[in-house]
Amino acid sequence: MASKTKAAAAKGGEVLTYNQGTFRNSALVRQQTLAAYLFMLPALFFFVLFVVVPMVMCLVTSFFDYRMGKPLTFVGLAQYVKMFQDPTFLKALQNTFILVIVAVPAVTAFSLWVSSVVYQFSAFKRSFFRCIFYLPVVTGTVAVAVVWKWMFNKYTGLINYVLGATGIIHENISWLGDARFALGCIILILFTTSIGQPIVLYIAALGNVDPSLIDAAEVDGANNFQVFWQIKWPQIMPTTLYILVITTINTFQCYALIQLLTSGGPNHATDTIMYYIYYQAFKLNDYGYGDAMGVVLAIIIAVLSAIQFKVTGSGATD
Amino acid sequence: MKKQLSLLLAAGMAASLLAGCGGGTSSTATDSSSASTATSTAEATAESTTASGDGLTADITMWTYPIGKFGDAETVNSIISKFQETNPGINVTVEYLDYTNGDDQVTAAIEAGTTPDIVMEGPERLVSNWGAKGKMLDLSDLWTEEATADIAGVSQSVVNACKGADGNYYEYPLCMTTHTMAINKDLFEAADALQYINEDGTWTTENFQKALQALKDSGVDTTMIVYCGGQGGDQGTRALVNNLYSGQFTNPDHTAYTTDSDANKKALQQLLDWSNEGLISYDAAAQASDELQLFANGTIAMTLCWNASNQAQYASSVTFTPMAVAFPSDDGVPELCGGIWGFGIFNNGDDNKAAAAKEFIKFLCDDETQGPESVRLTGFFPVRASFGDVYTGTEDEARMAEFAGFMQFLGDYYPVTAGWAEQRTAWWNMLQQIFTGTSVDDAVATYTETSNAALASASA
Repeated sequence: MASKTKAAAAKGGEVLTYNQGTFRNSALVRQQTLAAYLFMLPALFFFVLFVVVPMVMCLVTSFFDYRMGKPLTFVGLAQYVKMFQDPTFLKALQNTFILVIVAVPAVTAFSLWVSSVVYQFSAFKRSFFRCIFYLPVVTGTVAVAVVWKWMFNKYTGLINYVLGATGIIHENISWLGDARFALGCIILILFTTSIGQPIVLYIAALGNVDPSLIDAAEVDGANNFQVFWQIKWPQIMPTTLYILVITTINTFQCYALIQLLTSGGPNHATDTIMYYIYYQAFKLNDYGYGDAMGVVLAIIIAVLSAIQFKVTGSGATD
Repeated sequence: MKKQLSLLLAAGMAASLLAGCGGGTSSTATDSSSASTATSTAEATAESTTASGDGLTADITMWTYPIGKFGDAETVNSIISKFQETNPGINVTVEYLDYTNGDDQVTAAIEAGTTPDIVMEGPERLVSNWGAKGKMLDLSDLWTEEATADIAGVSQSVVNACKGADGNYYEYPLCMTTHTMAINKDLFEAADALQYINEDGTWTTENFQKALQALKDSGVDTTMIVYCGGQGGDQGTRALVNNLYSGQFTNPDHTAYTTDSDANKKALQQLLDWSNEGLISYDAAAQASDELQLFANGTIAMTLCWNASNQAQYASSVTFTPMAVAFPSDDGVPELCGGIWGFGIFNNGDDNKAAAAKEFIKFLCDDETQGPESVRLTGFFPVRASFGDVYTGTEDEARMAEFAGFMQFLGDYYPVTAGWAEQRTAWWNMLQQIFTGTSVDDAVATYTETSNAALASASA
């Protein structure tokens, strides 16, 4: 086993040695650990204050009947029981799963496809396309929603105009007001606003694949598909895992588009769990029920993320 | 180890979601702690606000929804400057809300114990929502016998609307209006449909149908839209349904929603029939703002969401003559929905600030010079009989006279009914169901059950 020795100057000028990252001087280890924690402390403070504490409060209040203007009453699991008897919640859950099942693979696959093409371009063209695809991300959600709402407008919308002019439709369609199309429209908008970050990440990841491995594979007679599947795909697996997890979480949390475009309608066709949480907490001031739904959503996301880690081998490069 | 780390990472990400959900409630776990937070905050700030001599000294805050020019910082600042000429010790800071996020901001402030001193809006929020939940201060001392008689002189329903179920007044009103429809007069003239509208702006349901037919026959593609994409401007669709066959939205004492009456169901069926015949349209993606835009650009011939303020807002952008009309009714005598706006004070536990806030409200509403001017700034009508016609001699005199004529048709102010927030969502969902195949009976039954259950829960 090759031995790698490094010298490090300790505080008192003492020269210490370690083999393969194993420190022999426990005092130095303690010192460095303490320093690490001190560096983490500011972030940790805010993490505890703004993430852990609200998280615990959310969990605790989900066991209470907690509504504005009413006394706080412990109800045990009643909110959770109510939730699974609430047809609107179940519809929202179903819609959310449809969003995730359709949008996440579509976003990931499309991003990978675009990136595979774009990363081979010259630096200028690569930057240009990165900007184009990232534009919907940096554009405010409200602005994006307003533009899409105009395009989907039943009476003056661009889509109806084009489809009508080309004879594809003979009667205007209320795209966001028709249960047959509304969720599909939301998925389309979500798709366009979600692909920016994955494309940028994939372009970076593909650019970091060791070219010597690709050259070697090609010399050995590998075709394009084999090069991608055997060389590039394993190398970008950590990026893929990150994209899958982040896109899944973002899709599960789809709220703003619903709030701005459909309010969950028509007939709850576009209700999502996050929108329903908002509705219960902020419109009806039923915080306990909203918190209970938040807990369930968090559990679902945690489980799905764990599955994604498992399936993708924890994102490790082989 | 890697797997454990990965799972930990996944749990952390999920945890951050959970934290997001709890964000709205992070400041207080209970109402009692909320109250104590508010009290301690008040005690702390009270040190910097003391009564001195004849004048109060306090820093107060006001949150206002965009009610006419009360949404304009320059205008409000000039009012504050006038107020400070006689109350130099009271500083007023104003934050401007919008109807999209305003309620959420107030809800978050209530839970965080950071509510403003004064809020400007209507009884459906100040009285039946925040007041009923114990968040507002009783303003009975502002309601002197003289003021009550003066306001009742315009409409007793304004007095009733500002009073909570517990008998306390949670709002001191400034202005009011009636919500009407409007027609594109040019299109109606071209279709020879103006003959169906009476001189006072009323029309019967029968004549309304004739007008719809005339418009269609003249080539108008979309006469009007029953919008039901959300709660924005839902008073328009409510008024249309209630008036067609003289139905009532609630019972007289506001203890039950009565949309399941035969008159209301007949009206809903009539709208569905007209839609099926192509006389009207419906859009589950549109709210009142969308419908108003379509009216303003001439796409549709009528809007259900009109009042003096909307007319002023769209006056410069329309290329036709908009004409306010009442909602059609079977007997030709409409009952129009009203809008009331005024001020409430959040119960922040600081008597000194509350006193200062009341001084400011009295200046805005009662001052013989500023009171009428405040009303003019809203673009609506005074709730006090003693103010008379505040638009006499102004450039808005003729325009406002058109709307003043509709005040005689002001109906019951039912938005103070308990369970209002849940009812509003149930209403547009009901319309969506009716226009997409659910029978009127079933959709109305679901709506009524949901709304009355919310009413019972809120009243418990």
